[in-house]
This record gives sequence, structure tokens and C-alpha cells, in this order.
Amino acid sequence: MNRWRRRQLQDYIAKILATLATFFGLFWLTWILWTTASKGLSALKWGLFTQMTPAPGSDGGLLNAFAGSLVMCGVAVLIGTPIGIGAGTYLSEYARDTRLGFTIRFVNDILLSAPSIVIGLFIYELMVRPMGHFSAWAGAVALSFIVLPVVVRTTDEMLQLVPTVMRESALALGVPQWKVVRQVLYRAALSGILTGVLLALARISGETAPVLFTALNNQYWTSNLNQPMANVPVVIFQYALSPFEFWHALAWAGAFVVVIFVLILSLTSRWLVARGQVSV
Amino acid sequence: MAPAQQVVPSGAASLVQGTNAPGPVQPHARDADGHAARREQRDQRNDTWFRYVVTGCALFVLIALLGAALSMLWGGREAFGTFGWSFLWSSDWDAVQKKFGALVPIYGTLITALIAMIIAVPVSFGISLFLTEIAPAWMRTPVSAAVELLAAIPSIIYGMWGLFVFVPFMGDHVDPWLDEHVGPLPIIGPLFQGPPIGLGMLTAGIVLGIMVIPFVSSVMREVFITVPVQLKESAYAVGNTTWEVVWDIVLPYTRSAVIGGIFLGLGRALGETMAVTFVLGNAHLLSPSLLQPGNSIAATIANEFTEADSSIYLSSLIALGFLLFVVTFIVLAIARVMLGQLAKRGGKL
Amino acid sequence: MNDTSKVTAISAVNSAVRPPDTAAKITARNVNFYYGKTRALKDVGLVIQEKRVTALIGPSGCGKSTLLRVFNRMYAIYPKQRAEGEILLDGENVLDPRYSINRLRTKVGMVFQKPVPFPMSIYDNVAYALRHYENLSRTAMNDRVEESLKDAALWDEVKDTLNNSALSLSGGQQQRLCIARAIALKPEVLLLDEPTSALDPISTAKVEQLIDELKANYTVLIVTHNMQQAARVSEFTGFMFLGELIEFGITSDMFTHPDHKKTEDYITGRFG
Repeated sequence: MNRWRRRQLQDYIAKILATLATFFGLFWLTWILWTTASKGLSALKWGLFTQMTPAPGSDGGLLNAFAGSLVMCGVAVLIGTPIGIGAGTYLSEYARDTRLGFTIRFVNDILLSAPSIVIGLFIYELMVRPMGHFSAWAGAVALSFIVLPVVVRTTDEMLQLVPTVMRESALALGVPQWKVVRQVLYRAALSGILTGVLLALARISGETAPVLFTALNNQYWTSNLNQPMANVPVVIFQYALSPFEFWHALAWAGAFVVVIFVLILSLTSRWLVARGQVSV
Repeated sequence: MAPAQQVVPSGAASLVQGTNAPGPVQPHARDADGHAARREQRDQRNDTWFRYVVTGCALFVLIALLGAALSMLWGGREAFGTFGWSFLWSSDWDAVQKKFGALVPIYGTLITALIAMIIAVPVSFGISLFLTEIAPAWMRTPVSAAVELLAAIPSIIYGMWGLFVFVPFMGDHVDPWLDEHVGPLPIIGPLFQGPPIGLGMLTAGIVLGIMVIPFVSSVMREVFITVPVQLKESAYAVGNTTWEVVWDIVLPYTRSAVIGGIFLGLGRALGETMAVTFVLGNAHLLSPSLLQPGNSIAATIANEFTEADSSIYLSSLIALGFLLFVVTFIVLAIARVMLGQLAKRGGKL
Repeated sequence: MNDTSKVTAISAVNSAVRPPDTAAKITARNVNFYYGKTRALKDVGLVIQEKRVTALIGPSGCGKSTLLRVFNRMYAIYPKQRAEGEILLDGENVLDPRYSINRLRTKVGMVFQKPVPFPMSIYDNVAYALRHYENLSRTAMNDRVEESLKDAALWDEVKDTLNNSALSLSGGQQQRLCIARAIALKPEVLLLDEPTSALDPISTAKVEQLIDELKANYTVLIVTHNMQQAARVSEFTGFMFLGELIEFGITSDMFTHPDHKKTEDYITGRFG
């Protein structure tokens, strides 16, 4: 075979393999989503949202788990977002080219991809051990450390995208810098920053490891954040590894709800990004 | 008169320093005496205060990382103190005798991560190649969105699917086949000999590989796009095939970022907890066979933390966590350095 | 020949189109500017007369925008940039660190090349600086906003849609909004940095007419790369080249019989 034909064959094979690789990836995605949907849908029932997590061997619902997850994720976002926006503001407005800025961005990127179980251990040492017991506060704080780097990065990037002219126009009016940042820059970058928060929320709603030994779990309803609190991921973990069929079904139902929630958040943030780009 | 810093953005040091005393500053022409000067001072104060607050938030990020490292070192001190360096290569794991060693979890972590990368790297490369050079324009956004979705799925979902669907599949169809046909072969045989239970290193490695694909492929894709069009077009113009352009031009141009992406994926694979916990089998077993169950650092911690009944047990688990932290930190730092080099060259990452 | 430090607007030439002299609003002396180690402005000195339009022209990179941005210390937010020398506004040196930057910017307003309305309503854009600096009642604020928009020749087009987002305006309207925003605080000096280079010809003509009206109340300093525009709108022009102010004088004189060869070459199009 001459050289030209050999090269063409190489090219052809490469293209086929690349296409197969894509199908490969999509194949797994479809299988996983299909499984979750079919097993989850068949396990959905009204009682899911009205009954509490059951005692071993019996059936019930996931109400306290849903509530607990909502509460802890909500508190985590409330804690992590302001600090994250503050840090992102510092990076964009005061430290674009400085050594400290570089270091903080570096560390933040590592935090972003660090194993979440490490965060769980950190908060265990920081809060659970001194307090002497597991608590929803600890769980929320652990989750907030996962929210933090996401919000820092998005805020930094979005604020940097605001054109310099806008910054200068506002400062040229004699308005002090902190007002310019708050009233003009945050507004201009708002949809981007919000997207970051939504992405962070999507991520923490499925996280198990950080909650596993901070908030633990609770078979009953509790509104006391100082106690262990039920949450969906840990419930799924425990129920899936149990020998009870009832519990397997509940685990699937919980998994299905989590996936739907995450998908909606992801789609919303994508939509926000698209909308934000149109108005700029 | 104390010198006051005039706050300026975008800089570590302020350029203009000066006093803020009302003396030399004349009152604003259309304002009452001193009213403008008071506003000046208030604005200055607020600017300074604002800067302190955001700087504090930024420093908090540094503190977070340091805190995590130190707290785990502290929590693991009993284990490190008792076992010393032998903790790293001991395969003990006995809760009754209170002897623990990290070898089995380390081994499992490394092997599953390795299998994951063997799968993820070529597949991600193929996907990036497909999305940047082969797919028609209308297909690119939906397909890349779909691949991104793999990253959005929480790891516990991977775990559920892995345990209830994939493990039985492996146990019923793949493992027996491997055991029968590849097991007897020399050299690689022992890797594939084992009971058809489905749980094991191979299964865990495959699941991990799927989870890591979106991370590696999104970096590759972003980076392939940054290659200047003129570079590629001139290569096409002299008759290169698509494959040759990618292999000879795009890859070398993006080499450090591609490596960075691979390390990023590796970092994720090493630290992944729930998916591995469900399908690895949680067995303190050190075996060359991929079909045997084993343990990883994260899975060990997740499975046994709440049942640790002695302080040395707990300390050993936290010490494991520290080891994992150190390894992933190094891997992720390398990734960041490699990716940072491309960011400086002009591609945004 | 090039002792530019001594060049003033009160040139000795008698001319039929010479505008009557007014007070010196801004006097620049020995102004040097540095981007890091690079010297971008070399010993610039000039006098800007009150309530006149002064234009700065010159080829790309000559330093005209740099000089303009020294007048309101816009460079202060960039740590690697610094200015030396004196710029006297009504007798006070505004480059003195003790002269508050924010106060300077309430006296010297700036309009940029690219119109950038803030992401808020038209009304809020104009009221933005007013809200910080003046404590006005609702009606007083409305009046001031209306006044600014009228002075910027935008009122009639937006008076019914003041609460709409400023981003809904056309390019020319956005630039006039930026002008309204800049004059809301009633500064004494207006710095215009190539205000029409991003606009279409019709909007450009509107803005040029606006400049003609504004000079009744404001001292205007405009940077433009369009010589014809300088000839149309300004009474005084300064020609800059490679960071130096080569020539400064009455616009009509500069364009009909410039003193320096470089100026003549630029104006006749031999380079630029």
C-alpha cells in the first residue's frame, strides 16, 4: 500500500475510533440515567414526601431526608456564597497580577477538585470532636467548604469579564470604589455569579462523603441544627447497602429525585449563562 | 497626622499615599464647609474597610486548605506516632488487635485510579477529537453538554447504578469470561483470575474511568480550540489529513495542558469515594487479581468511620485521609501548573 | 524650537478668527508620564482656557489619550502607571497626593470612547453620582436628571421611558446618556476621549452639535483621531507626537499655516 493510502487509512481509523469513543461515553450516560429513571420512577410514591425514614426492615418515606438536605444545603450556600464572592472580588479587583492573587487562585483550584471526604474529616476534627456530637451545623459547614471554591472561581472570572471601561466610567464620576463594585460591577456580573451559586448547589446536593461523619443521619425528624440530621445522600448510602428490598426501593427513589434536582439546576444555570451573554 | 492609604484597585500596593487631614483639602465649592471633607473621610474609610473585608475572605481560602491539612495531621497523630513509617507499607488491618496499615487501601486506590485513567484518557481524547474536528457544528453543543452531564451526576448515583446494575453484569458475564479465557494466559493471567462476584478492582476502575471522562475531555476540548486556526489551516493546506493535524500539530501545541487535564482526572479518580465504596467490595485483601475485591483509602474511611471503636482505629482512618490529601494535593498541583502554562500562553482555562 | 513647556494658548499671532481669551482653567506644567519604565509623556505643558473646546490630535500612540487621562488621574488605579509634574485646576495642583481624587473627579468629568451605560435604568444611570454626592428630594432629583438629559440632547427621546434599561438605547443614544451621566454632577471640565469614534455619522453629528452647546457651561477637552472633527468643534488644538506636545494654538491657524513641519506633515496626511 503506498504512503498516501496508508495515511488515509490512518485518518479513517482515527475518525472511526473517535466516533466510537463518543458513543462509548454517551452509552454509559444513557445506561446510568435510564437505570436511575426506571428504578426510581417505579419506586416513587406519594408516601415518599409524607413519611419519615423507616426503622430497619419496614417501609416509609424520605420526608425528613429531603427536609434535612434542603436545610443543610441552604445553610451551606448562605455561608459559602458571601465569603466566596468576597474572595472573588478581592482576586478580580485588587489582585489580578499579584503574587498573593496567584497563590490564592492556585490554592482555590486545588480546593475545587480536592476529595470531598477530606473536607468531611476536616470538619469532623474542627467541629464534631470539640462539640462531642454530630450535628447539622457541622454538615452544613462541611458543604459550605465545597461551595466556597466554586463561587470564588466564578466570581473572579465573571468580574474580570466586566469591561474595564465600565469600571473606569464609574470611577470617573468620583464614586468611591466600594460603591462601584457593589452597585455597578456586581450588577453587571450578576447572572454569572448566580450561575456559580447554582452550580455549587447542584454539586453539594449529591455529596455524601462530607456529610457522612459530620451530620451523620437521623431516622427521625428534627429541626434542631445542633443534632444529627437526616439527608438524602447518606440515607441512600445506608439503604442501598442494607439487605432490605424496601430500603433499596427508597434508595432508588431518593437517587432519582436527586438526579432530577441536579439536572434542573444544571439546565437553569446553562440558561442563565446564555441569557447573560445576550444582554451584554 | 497619620498617613492614610488611598485605596486603589488592581494592585497590591497603593500608588498614592497621603494624609487625609481636612486642612489642605479645600471644601467643595457647592457644599457647606466640612460637609464634603467629612464625606471624603467616610468614603476613604469605607473603601479601606471594604478592602479589608474582601482580603480577609480571600485569605480564608488559604486558611481553609491549611486547616484541612493540619487538622488531619493532628487527627492522625496517634496512628503515625504508634506505627511510624511502617504505616505506609503494612498490610495489617485488625480492629481487635489494634494494628493498622495503609498498604491495602493505598494499593486499591492506585490500581483503581490507574485502570480509570487507562480507560478515560483514550476515550476522552477520542471524544475531544470528535467534537473539535469531526462532528458537524449543530452536533457539538448537545453532545458536549451530554458529556458534561456525566460530571454532574452525583457519585452516589454512580455507586447505586454500579452496585445494582453493573456489578451483576460484570459478575454474570464479564468476570467468568475473563477468568476462563484470560486467566490461564501467562504473565497477564493472574490479573484476571478470580471469583465471578462482580465486585472488585476492575469493576471499580471501569466506573471510575467513566466518572473521570468528562473532566479530562472538557480540558482537552477547551485546549484544542485554542490552537490558532492558521496553524491548522496551513497544515491542511499542504495536504495533511485530520488525524495528522491533530497528532502532529494540535497535540504538541497543547501538550502541557493535556497532561494537566490528565492529572486533573487522576486527582479526581484518587479521591472518589462513594462510587468506589459501592463496587469495590470493602475487603482488606491484597491480591494481584483485578477480579478480586479490595479497598481504597476513601472507601475504607467511608465504610468504617462510624464503626471505629477505638481511638487508634479512628486515628488510623484520619491518617489515611491525610495520606490521600497529600497525594491528591501533589497531583492537583501538578495539574494546575501544567494548565497554568497554557493559560499564560493565551488560552483561557 | 521645541521648548514646549513654554507654549501657551495665548499665541502672538493676530487672526481674524481668534476667539476672545478667557481665564486659564487648567495649566499643565512639565507633565511626564510613565508606564513602568517607559516614558509616555515628555515635559508637556499647555493652558486650557475656560469654556472653550480644546482638541488634542495626533497619530496613534502619540500620547493624547494618556495626557487626557492625567487630568482626572484615571491612571491611579493601575499600580504601574505614574505621573509627574503639575496640573493646576483653578490654581490648585490636582496631581498633589493631598488633592482628593474623588473630589477631582466631581470637578472633571470624563466620557469614554465606548459608550458603557451601567446595567440599570436610564434614570438611575444619570442619577448615579448624584445619589452619592447630593442629598436631594425625589422632585429635586427628577429635576436634575431631566436637566442633565436635556443638556445632553437626549431628554425628548427618553422622557417617557426613563425606567427602561439603559441597554435598550442605540449606540448614539447611549453615548449621549454617558454625557448626561458625566454632566449630572455639574463638573467644570469635561474630558472627551474619542467620543464619536464608535458612532455612526448621524450620531456623530448630534454629539458634535452637543459639544458646541456644552461649551457655554463647560470647559471641554477632546481627544480625536479625526482631524476634520477637531477643525469642526474646537477653538484650540494641540498636536502631539511621540509623547510630546509639538504645537498648540488656535485651530484655524494650526490647520491653515502650522508652525512646525511635523504638524504640517500630519495635517496634510504625509503620515498618520
